[in-house]
Amino acid sequence: MTGSAAPRAHKHRRRKPLTLALGYLALTVLATMAIGPIIWAISGSFKSPGEVFVTPPQLIPSSFNLDNYAKVFEFIPLGRQLFNTLLYAAAVTTGQVFFCALAGYAFARKKFYGRDKVFLAYLATLMVPATVVIIPQFMLMRSLGWVDTIAAMIIPGLFGNAFGTYLMRQFFLSIPQELEEAARVDGANQWQVYWRIMLPLARPALAVLTVLSMITVWNDFLWPLVMIHNEDISTVTLGLLHLQGSYSTNFPVLMAASVMVILPPVIVYLFAQRAFVTGVAQAGLAGR
Amino acid sequence: MPRKNVIRKSTNATPRYARFWPHASGYLFVLPNLVAVAVFLAFPLIFSLYLSLTNWELLTPPTWAGLANYVDLFADPLFWTALWNTALFTIGSVVPIIVLSLLSALALNQKLFGIGFFRAVVFLPLVASTVAMAVIWMWLFNTDNGLLNWLLSLAGVEQIGWLTDPHWALISLIIVSVWKGVPLSTVILLAAVQNVPDRLYDAASLDGAGVVRKFFAITLPMIRPTIAFVLVISIIQSFQVFDLAYVMTNGSGGPGTSTYVLGIMVFQHAFRFYEMGYAAAIQWVVFLILLGLTYIQLRLSRSAEDDL
Repeated sequence: MTGSAAPRAHKHRRRKPLTLALGYLALTVLATMAIGPIIWAISGSFKSPGEVFVTPPQLIPSSFNLDNYAKVFEFIPLGRQLFNTLLYAAAVTTGQVFFCALAGYAFARKKFYGRDKVFLAYLATLMVPATVVIIPQFMLMRSLGWVDTIAAMIIPGLFGNAFGTYLMRQFFLSIPQELEEAARVDGANQWQVYWRIMLPLARPALAVLTVLSMITVWNDFLWPLVMIHNEDISTVTLGLLHLQGSYSTNFPVLMAASVMVILPPVIVYLFAQRAFVTGVAQAGLAGR
Repeated sequence: MPRKNVIRKSTNATPRYARFWPHASGYLFVLPNLVAVAVFLAFPLIFSLYLSLTNWELLTPPTWAGLANYVDLFADPLFWTALWNTALFTIGSVVPIIVLSLLSALALNQKLFGIGFFRAVVFLPLVASTVAMAVIWMWLFNTDNGLLNWLLSLAGVEQIGWLTDPHWALISLIIVSVWKGVPLSTVILLAAVQNVPDRLYDAASLDGAGVVRKFFAITLPMIRPTIAFVLVISIIQSFQVFDLAYVMTNGSGGPGTSTYVLGIMVFQHAFRFYEMGYAAAIQWVVFLILLGLTYIQLRLSRSAEDDL
């Protein structure tokens, strides 16, 4: 049996240089296509208005001053919008994570009548696409008097959704039952078992949900477009839309604004890449 | 006998609430989610069905219209234009998305130094706001100063009016949608490719199979359920296109009606003309189409889950 190790090691012998070069070539082309537009936007965000018309176009701008970034804040209240969007993302995410974890735990571990049927019905709501219910949702917000208020931006998303609950449930199902029972024997009550024992164990799943939720709220467009008109409470995507509408040919300033809108999710992504990619793969499976 | 009694007694001794509580706490834990989904999703969905059977111009009370909105809709040439554009956009986006994401999943599955870096870069468009990317692509598509036309001019191609020429506008939207859609499919396909057992490849190597042969004989059949699944979720997502079309055409679906998709049509009728009933009717037609597609997806996702 020891002999079998030798051919195995052989299998991973060094590849031919040509194969290796082709592999890296394919990856480089792929990577360039993926972030080329973003790199070009960053480059453009430093260019002077005149530089945009130069032929051939230059990737490296003549200087790296922040004039265009400063102009964005003159043209639209982006500072305010950055703050608002961050507030909405933080509030909705906090609520989502709290309630999805709670419901996910109950659907995984609690015993109550009709549990699995209720869960399936809840999961079925994933089939309703956001774009299909926007009109009645607008009517609902209108009759509640929430149109053009912060409430419309926060409350509907605050109590969790089917995908987040699905994600948490799958994770809680994978935690060994014994831990819970041991805590119960020690006299912990229902809430303590959940809050002190189970929730801390679910940290990886909580991270996935946090990252996904933050980025989704940050990038949301249709909902704020329909619900918000007041600039004081509007979001970065609406700000960018208005900038685009008023200064459609001022490309350097538009690029500076776009870069600022993209940057926060990218930073979150760079720090929590694994959590994000795991979440996306599962979101795909949950049918999002 | 006495033993049984003891057990009975101890059960009876536990207070009523303690036997009730495990169930009750389960309900309590899931209650906030269920109430929210009922109020903000299920009720609006049902309500929009009623809405689609009325004439409602937002400021005046609704009047019953029966199926008039649906009859008008099917007689509205713009509806058929929007449906056709949406279908074209969907097919035009989904085919390249599947092909390119399959290729990129294979490229990212190589065991090479620095592969983690390449994965991080290729997945990055997933987190980039669609609105911001639409703005960025509008510059790339600019007829006179855009990078794309300059690159094409190097190859001797004449300037293309990407967003100003009705023949090209929908294609431009498709390009951005493919750019944005490939990373999502790649993530899912890569997970599937990674789960193909190594021993299958080992066995094929022993039989002398080359890279191409291995792909068609092993990889492709093994991940076929996942490909089918990714195909359907891409169709569902493309069919709902809105953000991209709205930003890149200033909400008009132009030039002319060349990018007038169903999402734009619903938005215009609801929030420009305030024809809530008519817009709700369009939404229900869209919903039924998507429901059909979702049904197919659910059947596939079961096999895809086994696959992952």
